[in-house]
Amino acid sequence: MIGTHAKDSIERIFFAAARTRLVTDQQHACDIAPRPGVAAQGEHLVVLTISSMQFRLLLLLHFEDDERTRRYYVGDAARTLTECFMEFGNLCCGAMNQQLVEHFPDLGMSTPYALSSGCLPYLRELKPDSVQSYAITIDREVRIGATLCVCTQTPLDFVASLAAIEAHDSAGELELF
Amino acid sequence: MAGVAVVLPYLIEGTALAALAAGAAVAWRRHAQAQAQEAARVQGATHAAALAQAQARHVAQQEEAAHEHEALVAQVESLRAELAQRKLVADALEAALASERAHRDDAMHHAARIASEASRLKLMSSTFERWHEQMISLMAQNHDMHQKNQELSSIVSHVLIVSLNASIEAARAGAAGRGFSIVAGEVRALATRSQELSKSYRDSLNRNDLITAATFQDIQAGGKMIAASLASVESASNQLHTQLEAARSGAHA
Repeated sequence: MIGTHAKDSIERIFFAAARTRLVTDQQHACDIAPRPGVAAQGEHLVVLTISSMQFRLLLLLHFEDDERTRRYYVGDAARTLTECFMEFGNLCCGAMNQQLVEHFPDLGMSTPYALSSGCLPYLRELKPDSVQSYAITIDREVRIGATLCVCTQTPLDFVASLAAIEAHDSAGELELF
Repeated sequence: MAGVAVVLPYLIEGTALAALAAGAAVAWRRHAQAQAQEAARVQGATHAAALAQAQARHVAQQEEAAHEHEALVAQVESLRAELAQRKLVADALEAALASERAHRDDAMHHAARIASEASRLKLMSSTFERWHEQMISLMAQNHDMHQKNQELSSIVSHVLIVSLNASIEAARAGAAGRGFSIVAGEVRALATRSQELSKSYRDSLNRNDLITAATFQDIQAGGKMIAASLASVESASNQLHTQLEAARSGAHA
Protein backbone atom coordinates (compact mmCIF):
# COMPACT_ATOMS: atom_id res chain seq x y z
CA MET A 1 0.00 0.00 0.00
CA ILE A 2 3.03 2.31 0.29
CA GLY A 3 4.86 3.37 -2.85
CA THR A 4 8.61 3.48 -3.29
CA HIS A 5 8.51 7.27 -3.69
CA ALA A 6 6.70 7.60 -0.36
CA LYS A 7 9.23 5.32 1.36
CA ASP A 8 12.11 7.27 -0.11
CA SER A 9 10.51 10.62 0.76
CA ILE A 10 9.83 9.61 4.39
CA GLU A 11 13.41 8.38 4.70
CA ARG A 12 14.84 11.64 3.35
CA ILE A 13 12.56 13.66 5.63
CA PHE A 14 13.74 11.58 8.60
CA PHE A 15 17.41 11.95 7.65
CA ALA A 16 17.05 15.74 7.45
CA ALA A 17 15.15 15.92 10.75
CA ALA A 18 17.62 13.64 12.56
CA ARG A 19 20.67 15.54 11.32
CA THR A 20 19.33 18.83 12.69
CA ARG A 21 17.27 17.77 15.73
CA LEU A 22 19.03 14.77 17.26
CA VAL A 23 22.28 16.71 17.70
CA THR A 24 23.02 19.10 20.53
CA ASP A 25 25.16 21.24 18.21
CA GLN A 26 24.43 21.83 14.52
CA GLN A 27 28.15 21.35 13.79
CA HIS A 28 28.11 17.79 15.09
CA ALA A 29 28.25 15.03 12.52
CA CYS A 30 25.24 12.73 12.32
CA ASP A 31 25.85 9.59 10.26
CA ILE A 32 22.81 7.50 9.45
CA ALA A 33 23.01 4.05 7.91
CA PRO A 34 20.11 1.69 7.16
CA ARG A 35 20.33 -1.65 8.94
CA PRO A 36 18.39 -4.85 8.41
CA GLY A 37 15.95 -6.28 10.95
CA VAL A 38 14.21 -4.59 13.84
CA ALA A 39 16.66 -5.38 16.63
CA ALA A 40 16.98 -2.58 19.15
CA GLN A 41 20.25 -0.70 19.70
CA GLY A 42 19.80 -0.17 23.39
CA GLU A 43 17.55 -0.99 26.27
CA HIS A 44 15.39 2.14 26.13
CA LEU A 45 12.83 3.15 23.56
CA VAL A 46 11.08 6.46 22.87
CA VAL A 47 8.08 6.26 20.57
CA LEU A 48 6.21 9.07 18.78
CA THR A 49 3.32 8.93 16.30
CA ILE A 50 2.26 11.16 13.42
CA SER A 51 -1.31 10.42 12.37
CA SER A 52 -3.24 11.39 9.27
CA MET A 53 -6.38 10.14 7.55
CA GLN A 54 -4.24 8.13 5.11
CA PHE A 55 -1.53 6.70 7.36
CA ARG A 56 0.22 6.68 10.67
CA LEU A 57 3.94 6.92 11.09
CA LEU A 58 5.74 5.72 14.21
CA LEU A 59 9.21 7.01 14.97
CA LEU A 60 10.95 4.74 17.47
CA LEU A 61 14.30 5.87 18.85
CA HIS A 62 16.29 3.32 20.85
CA PHE A 63 19.31 4.04 22.97
CA GLU A 64 21.51 2.71 25.76
CA ASP A 65 21.71 4.57 29.05
CA ASP A 66 25.54 4.68 29.01
CA GLU A 67 28.07 7.30 29.97
CA ARG A 68 28.66 8.66 26.43
CA THR A 69 24.99 9.03 25.67
CA ARG A 70 24.25 10.63 29.04
CA ARG A 71 27.14 13.06 28.64
CA TYR A 72 25.94 14.04 25.18
CA TYR A 73 22.22 14.51 25.89
CA VAL A 74 22.06 15.27 29.63
CA GLY A 75 25.33 17.05 30.26
CA ASP A 76 25.25 18.60 33.72
CA ALA A 77 21.46 18.75 33.97
CA ALA A 78 19.76 17.03 36.88
CA ARG A 79 17.46 14.99 34.69
CA THR A 80 17.31 11.44 33.44
CA LEU A 81 18.57 10.49 30.00
CA THR A 82 15.09 9.32 28.98
CA GLU A 83 13.55 12.73 29.88
CA CYS A 84 16.19 14.60 27.88
CA PHE A 85 16.07 12.18 24.96
CA MET A 86 12.28 12.47 24.76
CA GLU A 87 12.70 16.21 24.09
CA PHE A 88 15.13 15.56 21.24
CA GLY A 89 12.83 12.88 19.87
CA ASN A 90 9.92 15.31 20.06
CA LEU A 91 11.89 17.93 18.10
CA CYS A 92 12.92 15.37 15.48
CA CYS A 93 9.36 14.11 15.02
CA GLY A 94 8.07 17.70 14.98
CA ALA A 95 10.45 18.53 12.12
CA MET A 96 9.18 15.48 10.20
CA ASN A 97 5.61 16.56 10.90
CA GLN A 98 6.31 20.02 9.48
CA GLN A 99 7.66 18.50 6.28
CA LEU A 100 4.83 15.99 5.92
CA VAL A 101 2.15 18.63 6.46
CA GLU A 102 3.22 20.13 3.12
CA HIS A 103 1.83 17.00 1.48
CA PHE A 104 -0.88 16.01 3.97
CA PRO A 105 -2.74 19.04 5.34
CA ASP A 106 -4.49 17.07 8.08
CA LEU A 107 -1.83 15.77 10.45
CA GLY A 108 -1.48 15.42 14.18
CA MET A 109 1.47 14.44 16.34
CA SER A 110 1.50 12.64 19.66
CA THR A 111 3.60 13.38 22.70
CA PRO A 112 6.60 11.07 23.22
CA TYR A 113 6.35 7.97 25.37
CA ALA A 114 9.10 5.85 26.87
CA LEU A 115 8.99 2.06 26.61
CA SER A 116 11.36 -0.85 26.92
CA SER A 117 13.13 -1.79 23.69
CA GLY A 118 11.76 -5.28 24.25
CA CYS A 119 8.57 -3.90 22.69
CA LEU A 120 10.25 -3.30 19.33
CA PRO A 121 9.76 -6.80 17.84
CA TYR A 122 6.00 -6.42 18.34
CA LEU A 123 5.71 -3.69 15.72
CA ARG A 124 4.44 -6.49 13.49
CA GLU A 125 1.25 -6.50 15.60
CA LEU A 126 0.41 -3.13 14.03
CA LYS A 127 0.43 -4.77 10.59
CA PRO A 128 2.80 -2.17 9.14
CA ASP A 129 3.33 -1.61 5.42
CA SER A 130 6.91 -0.57 5.95
CA VAL A 131 9.44 -0.99 8.78
CA GLN A 132 13.01 0.25 8.38
CA SER A 133 15.72 0.52 11.01
CA TYR A 134 18.77 2.79 11.01
CA ALA A 135 22.00 3.01 12.95
CA ILE A 136 22.83 6.59 13.90
CA THR A 137 26.23 7.79 15.03
CA ILE A 138 26.35 11.30 16.44
CA ASP A 139 29.54 13.26 16.86
CA ARG A 140 31.44 10.03 16.04
CA GLU A 141 30.84 8.49 19.47
CA VAL A 142 27.17 8.40 20.46
CA ARG A 143 25.33 5.47 18.94
CA ILE A 144 21.57 5.29 18.87
CA GLY A 145 19.04 3.45 16.74
CA ALA A 146 15.89 4.52 14.95
CA THR A 147 13.02 2.62 13.40
CA LEU A 148 10.42 4.08 11.06
CA CYS A 149 7.15 2.19 10.91
CA VAL A 150 4.41 3.21 8.46
CA CYS A 151 0.88 1.80 8.56
CA THR A 152 -1.47 2.86 5.77
CA GLN A 153 -5.22 2.79 5.27
CA THR A 154 -5.13 3.80 1.60
CA PRO A 155 -2.45 3.56 -1.09
CA LEU A 156 0.24 6.07 -0.18
CA ASP A 157 2.74 7.64 -2.51
CA PHE A 158 4.22 11.12 -2.71
CA VAL A 159 7.49 12.82 -3.58
CA ALA A 160 9.00 15.20 -1.06
CA SER A 161 10.96 17.99 -2.71
CA LEU A 162 14.64 17.84 -1.81
CA ALA A 163 14.90 21.64 -2.08
CA ALA A 164 12.01 22.10 0.34
CA ILE A 165 13.59 19.70 2.84
CA GLU A 166 16.92 21.49 2.65
CA ALA A 167 15.26 24.90 2.94
CA HIS A 168 13.40 23.64 5.98
CA ASP A 169 16.64 22.34 7.51
CA SER A 170 18.39 25.67 7.19
CA ALA A 171 15.45 27.49 8.83
CA GLY A 172 14.99 24.83 11.49
CA GLU A 173 16.91 26.54 14.26
CA LEU A 174 14.34 29.31 14.54
CA GLU A 175 11.31 27.06 14.76
CA LEU A 176 9.46 26.18 17.93
CA PHE A 177 7.17 23.24 18.54
CA MET B 1 -73.67 151.36 -68.25
CA ALA B 2 -70.17 151.50 -69.48
CA GLY B 3 -69.13 150.42 -66.19
CA VAL B 4 -71.24 147.45 -66.37
CA ALA B 5 -69.78 146.71 -69.75
CA VAL B 6 -66.36 147.02 -68.38
CA VAL B 7 -67.12 144.88 -65.45
CA LEU B 8 -69.03 142.27 -67.31
CA PRO B 9 -66.10 140.66 -69.11
CA TYR B 10 -64.45 140.51 -65.94
CA LEU B 11 -67.45 138.91 -64.39
CA ILE B 12 -67.70 136.48 -67.23
CA GLU B 13 -64.03 135.75 -67.05
CA GLY B 14 -64.36 135.30 -63.33
CA THR B 15 -67.31 133.11 -63.69
CA ALA B 16 -65.53 131.12 -66.29
CA LEU B 17 -62.54 130.91 -64.22
CA ALA B 18 -64.69 129.96 -61.36
CA ALA B 19 -66.39 127.35 -63.44
CA LEU B 20 -63.09 126.16 -64.71
CA ALA B 21 -61.79 126.09 -61.29
CA ALA B 22 -64.82 124.27 -60.13
CA GLY B 23 -64.47 121.84 -62.95
CA ALA B 24 -60.87 121.41 -62.22
CA ALA B 25 -61.70 120.91 -58.66
CA VAL B 26 -64.27 118.33 -59.53
CA ALA B 27 -61.88 116.66 -61.86
CA TRP B 28 -59.18 116.74 -59.26
CA ARG B 29 -61.63 115.48 -56.71
CA ARG B 30 -62.60 112.68 -59.03
CA HIS B 31 -59.04 111.97 -59.76
CA ALA B 32 -58.30 112.03 -56.14
CA GLN B 33 -61.23 109.73 -55.46
CA ALA B 34 -60.05 107.43 -58.17
CA GLN B 35 -56.63 107.47 -56.72
CA ALA B 36 -58.04 106.90 -53.31
CA GLN B 37 -60.18 104.09 -54.61
CA GLU B 38 -57.19 102.64 -56.38
CA ALA B 39 -55.14 103.02 -53.32
CA ALA B 40 -57.93 101.50 -51.29
CA ARG B 41 -58.21 98.67 -53.78
CA VAL B 42 -54.46 98.09 -53.71
CA GLN B 43 -54.48 98.30 -49.97
CA GLY B 44 -57.40 95.90 -49.84
CA ALA B 45 -55.63 93.53 -52.15
CA THR B 46 -52.53 93.84 -50.01
CA HIS B 47 -54.57 93.24 -46.91
CA ALA B 48 -56.28 90.29 -48.53
CA ALA B 49 -52.95 88.85 -49.56
CA ALA B 50 -51.57 89.47 -46.10
CA LEU B 51 -54.66 87.96 -44.61
CA ALA B 52 -54.35 84.94 -46.86
CA GLN B 53 -50.70 84.63 -45.93
CA ALA B 54 -51.58 84.98 -42.29
CA GLN B 55 -54.29 82.41 -42.65
CA ALA B 56 -51.92 80.06 -44.46
CA ARG B 57 -49.33 80.65 -41.80
CA HIS B 58 -51.92 80.07 -39.16
CA VAL B 59 -53.02 76.85 -40.79
CA ALA B 60 -49.44 75.79 -41.13
CA GLN B 61 -48.80 76.67 -37.52
CA GLN B 62 -51.91 74.79 -36.51
CA GLU B 63 -50.77 71.79 -38.51
CA GLU B 64 -47.31 72.06 -37.03
CA ALA B 65 -48.78 72.41 -33.57
CA ALA B 66 -50.98 69.41 -34.24
CA HIS B 67 -47.93 67.42 -35.35
CA GLU B 68 -46.02 68.55 -32.34
CA HIS B 69 -48.92 67.63 -30.15
CA GLU B 70 -49.12 64.22 -31.71
CA ALA B 71 -45.39 63.80 -31.31
CA LEU B 72 -45.61 64.89 -27.70
CA VAL B 73 -48.51 62.54 -27.07
CA ALA B 74 -46.51 59.73 -28.65
CA GLN B 75 -43.47 60.72 -26.60
CA VAL B 76 -45.55 60.80 -23.43
CA GLU B 77 -46.93 57.38 -24.24
CA SER B 78 -43.44 56.10 -24.94
CA LEU B 79 -42.19 57.59 -21.68
CA ARG B 80 -45.11 56.07 -19.80
CA ALA B 81 -44.34 52.68 -21.34
CA GLU B 82 -40.66 53.09 -20.51
CA LEU B 83 -41.55 54.14 -16.98
CA ALA B 84 -43.77 51.13 -16.58
CA GLN B 85 -40.96 48.91 -17.90
CA ARG B 86 -38.47 50.50 -15.55
CA LYS B 87 -40.86 50.09 -12.69
CA LEU B 88 -41.15 46.42 -13.55
CA VAL B 89 -37.35 46.10 -13.66
CA ALA B 90 -37.05 48.07 -10.41
CA ASP B 91 -39.64 45.84 -8.77
CA ALA B 92 -37.83 42.76 -10.01
CA LEU B 93 -34.51 44.15 -8.75
CA GLU B 94 -36.07 45.04 -5.43
CA ALA B 95 -37.43 41.50 -5.15
CA ALA B 96 -34.05 40.05 -6.12
CA LEU B 97 -32.34 42.35 -3.61
CA ALA B 98 -34.76 41.29 -0.89
CA SER B 99 -34.10 37.66 -1.81
CA GLU B 100 -30.33 38.24 -1.75
CA ARG B 101 -30.64 39.93 1.63
CA ALA B 102 -32.58 36.97 2.91
CA HIS B 103 -29.93 34.60 1.50
CA ARG B 104 -27.16 36.69 3.02
CA ASP B 105 -28.86 36.73 6.40
CA ASP B 106 -29.35 32.99 6.09
CA ALA B 107 -25.68 32.52 5.13
CA MET B 108 -24.64 34.69 8.08
CA HIS B 109 -26.76 32.60 10.35
CA HIS B 110 -25.22 29.39 8.99
CA ALA B 111 -21.67 30.75 9.18
CA ALA B 112 -22.24 31.77 12.80
CA ARG B 113 -23.71 28.35 13.53
CA ILE B 114 -20.79 26.50 11.91
CA ALA B 115 -18.31 28.63 13.88
CA SER B 116 -20.26 27.95 17.06
CA GLU B 117 -20.40 24.19 16.34
CA ALA B 118 -16.69 24.09 15.50
CA SER B 119 -15.93 25.96 18.70
CA ARG B 120 -18.10 23.59 20.68
CA LEU B 121 -16.56 20.50 19.06
CA LYS B 122 -13.09 21.71 20.01
CA LEU B 123 -14.08 20.78 23.54
CA MET B 124 -13.69 17.17 22.47
CA SER B 125 -9.97 17.71 23.11
CA SER B 126 -10.87 17.17 26.76
CA THR B 127 -12.12 13.70 25.74
CA PHE B 128 -8.78 13.00 24.06
CA GLU B 129 -7.01 14.21 27.16
CA ARG B 130 -9.15 11.85 29.23
CA TRP B 131 -8.16 8.94 26.95
CA HIS B 132 -4.53 9.99 27.23
CA GLU B 133 -4.76 10.01 31.02
CA GLN B 134 -6.32 6.56 30.90
CA MET B 135 -3.47 5.39 28.68
CA ILE B 136 -0.96 6.75 31.19
CA SER B 137 -2.85 4.87 33.91
CA LEU B 138 -2.92 1.68 31.84
CA MET B 139 0.79 1.98 31.03
CA ALA B 140 1.55 2.56 34.72
CA GLN B 141 -0.34 -0.61 35.50
CA ASN B 142 1.64 -2.47 32.80
CA HIS B 143 4.84 -1.09 34.31
CA ASP B 144 3.76 -2.36 37.71
CA MET B 145 3.06 -5.80 36.21
CA HIS B 146 6.53 -5.71 34.59
CA GLN B 147 8.08 -5.10 37.98
CA LYS B 148 6.05 -7.84 39.67
CA ASN B 149 6.92 -10.26 36.88
CA GLN B 150 10.57 -9.36 37.23
CA GLU B 151 10.34 -10.04 40.96
CA LEU B 152 8.61 -13.33 40.25
CA SER B 153 11.32 -14.19 37.75
CA SER B 154 13.94 -13.42 40.37
CA ILE B 155 12.18 -15.64 42.92
CA VAL B 156 11.89 -18.46 40.39
CA SER B 157 15.61 -18.16 39.60
CA HIS B 158 16.29 -18.39 43.31
CA VAL B 159 14.03 -21.44 43.66
CA LEU B 160 15.89 -23.04 40.75
CA ILE B 161 19.21 -22.53 42.50
CA VAL B 162 17.76 -23.83 45.77
CA SER B 163 16.37 -26.91 44.01
CA LEU B 164 19.76 -27.54 42.43
CA ASN B 165 21.41 -27.25 45.84
CA ALA B 166 18.76 -29.58 47.27
CA SER B 167 19.51 -32.12 44.53
CA ILE B 168 23.21 -31.92 45.36
CA GLU B 169 22.53 -32.33 49.07
CA ALA B 170 20.16 -35.25 48.37
CA ALA B 171 22.86 -36.95 46.29
CA ARG B 172 25.31 -36.55 49.17
CA ALA B 173 22.85 -38.19 51.53
CA GLY B 174 22.92 -41.31 49.39
CA ALA B 175 20.05 -43.80 49.71
CA ALA B 176 18.51 -41.77 52.54
CA GLY B 177 18.24 -38.76 50.29
CA ARG B 178 16.63 -40.54 47.36
CA GLY B 179 13.13 -39.33 48.19
CA PHE B 180 14.38 -35.84 48.79
CA SER B 181 16.19 -35.94 45.45
CA ILE B 182 12.90 -36.69 43.71
CA VAL B 183 11.22 -33.76 45.45
CA ALA B 184 14.13 -31.46 44.56
CA GLY B 185 13.87 -32.58 40.94
CA GLU B 186 10.16 -31.78 40.88
CA VAL B 187 10.80 -28.36 42.42
CA ARG B 188 13.46 -27.67 39.77
CA ALA B 189 11.07 -28.75 37.02
CA LEU B 190 8.35 -26.46 38.43
CA ALA B 191 10.83 -23.57 38.73
CA THR B 192 11.93 -24.08 35.13
CA ARG B 193 8.32 -24.04 33.96
CA SER B 194 7.67 -20.93 36.05
CA GLN B 195 10.71 -19.27 34.50
CA GLU B 196 9.41 -20.00 31.01
CA LEU B 197 5.99 -18.74 32.01
CA SER B 198 7.50 -15.55 33.42
CA LYS B 199 9.42 -14.97 30.19
CA SER B 200 6.28 -15.52 28.19
CA TYR B 201 4.39 -13.13 30.49
CA ARG B 202 7.13 -10.50 30.01
CA ASP B 203 6.83 -10.83 26.25
CA SER B 204 3.06 -10.43 26.51
CA LEU B 205 3.51 -7.29 28.58
CA ASN B 206 5.96 -5.88 26.03
CA ARG B 207 3.52 -6.64 23.24
CA ASN B 208 0.74 -5.06 25.27
CA ASP B 209 2.89 -1.97 25.95
CA LEU B 210 3.61 -1.40 22.28
CA ILE B 211 0.04 -1.90 21.10
CA THR B 212 -1.37 0.23 23.91
CA ALA B 213 1.12 3.06 23.40
CA ALA B 214 0.76 3.01 19.61
CA THR B 215 -3.04 2.96 19.80
CA PHE B 216 -3.32 5.77 22.31
CA GLN B 217 -0.69 7.84 20.50
CA ASP B 218 -2.72 7.38 17.33
CA ILE B 219 -5.82 8.59 19.23
CA GLN B 220 -3.90 11.52 20.69
CA ALA B 221 -2.40 12.55 17.34
CA GLY B 222 -5.76 12.01 15.61
CA GLY B 223 -7.37 14.23 18.24
CA LYS B 224 -4.86 16.99 17.52
CA MET B 225 -5.52 16.58 13.80
CA ILE B 226 -9.28 16.94 14.37
CA ALA B 227 -8.77 19.92 16.72
CA ALA B 228 -6.61 21.66 14.09
CA SER B 229 -9.21 20.99 11.39
CA LEU B 230 -11.99 22.33 13.61
CA ALA B 231 -9.95 25.44 14.39
CA SER B 232 -9.52 25.94 10.65
CA VAL B 233 -13.29 25.53 10.06
CA GLU B 234 -14.05 27.93 12.91
CA SER B 235 -11.64 30.52 11.55
CA ALA B 236 -13.03 30.26 8.00
CA SER B 237 -16.63 30.53 9.30
CA ASN B 238 -15.77 33.58 11.38
CA GLN B 239 -14.10 35.21 8.38
CA LEU B 240 -17.16 34.50 6.23
CA HIS B 241 -19.46 35.88 8.92
CA THR B 242 -17.34 39.04 9.20
CA GLN B 243 -17.38 39.53 5.43
CA LEU B 244 -21.16 39.08 5.27
CA GLU B 245 -21.60 41.45 8.21
CA ALA B 246 -19.41 44.06 6.49
CA ALA B 247 -21.38 43.61 3.24
CA ARG B 248 -24.65 44.13 5.13
CA SER B 249 -23.32 47.23 6.90
CA GLY B 250 -22.12 48.60 3.55
CA ALA B 251 -25.51 47.94 1.96
CA HIS B 252 -27.36 49.70 4.79
CA ALA B 253 -25.00 52.69 4.60
